[in-house]
Amino acid sequence: MSELLKFLVRFSSWFLFVVYLIAGFVLLFSGNPFQHHVYLTSANRISSGLYSTANSVSSYFFLKEINEDLQRRNSDLELEIYRLNDVIRHYREQAYADTMSVDSALSRYHFVIAHVINNSINRAHNYITIDKGSLDGIMPEMGVMDQNGIVGIVNVVSDHTARLISVLNPYLRLSCKVKGHAQVGSLVWDGKDPSEAMLEELPKHSEFTPGDTIVTSGYSSVFPEGVPVGTVMSSTRDIEDNFYTLRVKLFTDFSTLSTVRVIRDNMREELSAVEKEIEIKNME
Amino acid sequence: MSKVALQFIILGLVLVLAQVLVFNHICLFNVGVPMVFIYLIVRLPVTLALNWVLTIGFFLGLIVDVFSDTYGMNAVACTVLAMIRRPVLRLYVPREEDLTRPEPSMLSLGAGVYMKYLLTLTLIYCALIFTIEAFTFFNPLQLLLRIIFSTLLSMIIMLGIDSIMTPRSEKRL
Repeated sequence: MSELLKFLVRFSSWFLFVVYLIAGFVLLFSGNPFQHHVYLTSANRISSGLYSTANSVSSYFFLKEINEDLQRRNSDLELEIYRLNDVIRHYREQAYADTMSVDSALSRYHFVIAHVINNSINRAHNYITIDKGSLDGIMPEMGVMDQNGIVGIVNVVSDHTARLISVLNPYLRLSCKVKGHAQVGSLVWDGKDPSEAMLEELPKHSEFTPGDTIVTSGYSSVFPEGVPVGTVMSSTRDIEDNFYTLRVKLFTDFSTLSTVRVIRDNMREELSAVEKEIEIKNME
Repeated sequence: MSKVALQFIILGLVLVLAQVLVFNHICLFNVGVPMVFIYLIVRLPVTLALNWVLTIGFFLGLIVDVFSDTYGMNAVACTVLAMIRRPVLRLYVPREEDLTRPEPSMLSLGAGVYMKYLLTLTLIYCALIFTIEAFTFFNPLQLLLRIIFSTLLSMIIMLGIDSIMTPRSEKRL
């Protein structure tokens, strides 16, 4: 017994080394970021507190660029309003008798405005921390966009903070399409340039030209249809492959993220209930 | 003893804060990320028991992991770094009894040996971190560039920290 103890004491640092190494590898290969524990991510109380303090200083640095983006977006929206007003007037004249005003409370999507308190763009898997959490109505798997385009998907939520998987993270695949066409591909980051991503698996009969806009497809409850993503830069296609891969220049500037909108889909529960029902039926 | 311990705790706190608030966001030419918090492991006294060095290394890495959402990557690399610290030092200093002070520094090792020691540890650390990251994307050229640029950048910043840390009176010696 005493020999065993001596042995253990003598090689205690090797045991400790192996124990720490195993602990580290268990974390490292725990796989799916949706299973990460909230205390071990930047959404925990201490790190989010630190980051929001630091952010209260650094958020002033990019105000000029953000202001310009907002101005541009604002002018686009104004144009859209004029166009829609025309459309409304047209329909109102057409169906004057049985027009009913639609209450905005019945609209499908809601935005929750949040501030980015931590963000990275230079790693292989990038994550973003925001300052709104479950008490503000945020739940995992909600989509997030900013004034320019898509940003990511919520994956870990605590009371007052949440962590997003950035678009700049290969764990995230988003279904997107070329604006005005129906064929859908899957957007994924290739780890090279934080301003570019790849749109993969686009069927070979799709039509597009460089400069076309890429938008979300709306095939899930995460993003509504038509949220801007980026523009087509170039395309490649293997001879035996039936799919195009497009290089997409992202609209969102991930290095200056500050205010983002979390998209709440009011029909989400209904949709998932229906999908679950169908699944159960299929199993029977 | 407790004064030295307190100094290292403060150094650790400052390094972690600097790493997560400033250096994590620096990215030179899209490849070089400075890894500065390992300076704590570099400077721990040689007289400290290996079990302590390992424990400090692991938890230091884990704290940085929590802040930068890398989930275990820095913890693994720091544990390995803590383990190989002594062998690397022995490579350049055959007799540890010759050290004038227990902490490896510019003064106790001499500038040349200290630079070699620091460069070796930083290179090993950056190689570990970016190789673990490369499990997802394997691009040999980018991996190499990342390792080289990050090592150089970390080296320069850590030498800068060294010059701040060294008291003026000792510099004159």
